[in-house]
Amino acid sequence: MSTSPIVETSILSIDRPFRLESGEILSEVNIAYETYGELNKTKDNAILIEHALSGNAHAAFCHKGETKPGWWDVMIGPGKAFDTEKYFIICANVISGCNGTTGPSSINPATGEPYALTFPPVTIRDMVEVQRLLLSHFGIERLKSVVGGSMGGMQTMQIFCDYPSLFDSFICIASAMRHSAQQIAFNEVGRRAIMADPRWNGGNFYGEIPPEGGLSVARMIGHITYISEKMMQEKFGRLRKGKDSKAVFRPSFEVEHYLDYQGIAFVRRFDANSYLYITTAIDNFDLVSSISGSTRLRGENRARGRGFDTLRKKKGLVISFTSDWLYPSQQSHDIVRFFSGLNVRVSYAEIATDHGHDAFLTDYEQLSLIVSSFLDSPNELSRL
Amino acid sequence: MPTIREKTQNIIEDWIAPQSRVLDLGCGDGTLLSRLTQRKQVDGIGVEISRDMIVKCLGKGISVYQADIDHGLSQWDELSFDYVILTATLQVIHRPYHVINEMLRVGRCAVISVSNFGYAANRLGIMLKGRMTDEMRLTGDWHDTPVIRFVCLCEFIRSLSEMGVDILDARFFLPFDLAVRTKIPLDNLIVKEAIFMLGHNR
Repeated sequence: MSTSPIVETSILSIDRPFRLESGEILSEVNIAYETYGELNKTKDNAILIEHALSGNAHAAFCHKGETKPGWWDVMIGPGKAFDTEKYFIICANVISGCNGTTGPSSINPATGEPYALTFPPVTIRDMVEVQRLLLSHFGIERLKSVVGGSMGGMQTMQIFCDYPSLFDSFICIASAMRHSAQQIAFNEVGRRAIMADPRWNGGNFYGEIPPEGGLSVARMIGHITYISEKMMQEKFGRLRKGKDSKAVFRPSFEVEHYLDYQGIAFVRRFDANSYLYITTAIDNFDLVSSISGSTRLRGENRARGRGFDTLRKKKGLVISFTSDWLYPSQQSHDIVRFFSGLNVRVSYAEIATDHGHDAFLTDYEQLSLIVSSFLDSPNELSRL
Repeated sequence: MPTIREKTQNIIEDWIAPQSRVLDLGCGDGTLLSRLTQRKQVDGIGVEISRDMIVKCLGKGISVYQADIDHGLSQWDELSFDYVILTATLQVIHRPYHVINEMLRVGRCAVISVSNFGYAANRLGIMLKGRMTDEMRLTGDWHDTPVIRFVCLCEFIRSLSEMGVDILDARFFLPFDLAVRTKIPLDNLIVKEAIFMLGHNR
């Protein structure tokens, strides 16, 4: 992938107070983002990409001096599903993240110290509100689409429902309108692993050795849920490696080494407190209750008790994967049902794969076929 | 001369009221739905099992839902549609009664086409070949053809009355490009294909 063009992450600094859904206020917010392709003169060819739990703004292309491209490079680029010759692609790191956008590891300007757990709790809606600041920065008032997988799908649905007139369409991949008890349970085990690590120290570990043990266990649990049982069996089975080790409980199975590797690779690039904040935002997400009722503080139709007339006839695409047991297809069926009820013209595709939840990152060939035919199709057939 | 498929589509286009909500089961590449959308401004969605067909529908701007019709309609609430269409796929459905009942649950009317197994040419074909003809199988050999239901016109009409379903309108296709609106004598022998508009006395 050394042919990928070069990109760098930019930072947009917002120097005015940002009010979170909780009511708490951040005196300033930095937004890390990358863009690919060119914004056209009419500023209507933009597509907003929403990243998942462990993602970041680096969705495609390569950073200077690196050979590993961004996390969705297979989907974004010239001639790819999100064609940078046609579209202006934007991806921003979420608030409470740890890759440039303000989060618990950022310095609190009031104290000169990292926020740690004084960072206010965030919601999926806070994440997309921050992205709106970025869209305003570019002067974009209308986007071709918004797309995301997993937690990115949650942001996609939230911003599409809150600001329907911003978008022509949405694409929601392997996601859910709310977490099930099982999904919350897996996240909670991950959080507990971090908090049980003495190095976590109530979140105050900056400048010290971070809670690597806890965070890597959290990541290992995650990775078990991201792939299917079948794939894990085919990839590792009962294969062993490193038999020469003398320690009693050294990892000996291949699968143990794999998880170990994933855990270690993760602690190098991710902040344990960000993991707590983001997984909590995911667990608290509930699309239906967030967009209904008179308590809404954000969004176009806020607190007016109005319906979602602006959603009418807009297009949506929902995609799930047959072997995804973390975000099973039924949750995507529920999404289709919900948006159909709001008169959005929703399409649904279920991709046959053994790759589990991770398929949204790996099964790009099938995904590209579906996504590009959706994006390139006419909006209003009757006007042909 | 238009094929029966084209004639069927013409009839459906005549039947369907403008701006109605339409669900097309086994919508294939979305030809019928794009025609109905363009000419009748319907609000349509297709159900299709094949990934390749899904891609074609999406490319045309047709909304499509990937599912197996045999278990696919629980997704929709009662009376979500004015018309639910099932053309040229009845023979491949495992649970036709279930599907017809579901069509009339989610839709006000059901439009169903039936290829008559009792048609004279089929009888002749079996007599001469001693097996199902290729036309009957649509595609494939005896072991892999999708066609598993060989229904004739008289049985289908009997089933409708057993299910308490009313025939609101119908067209019966005869040889030599003829089509009639009403049941005729010897219909199980001379009707090649029929299309019904069905409904419930609610």
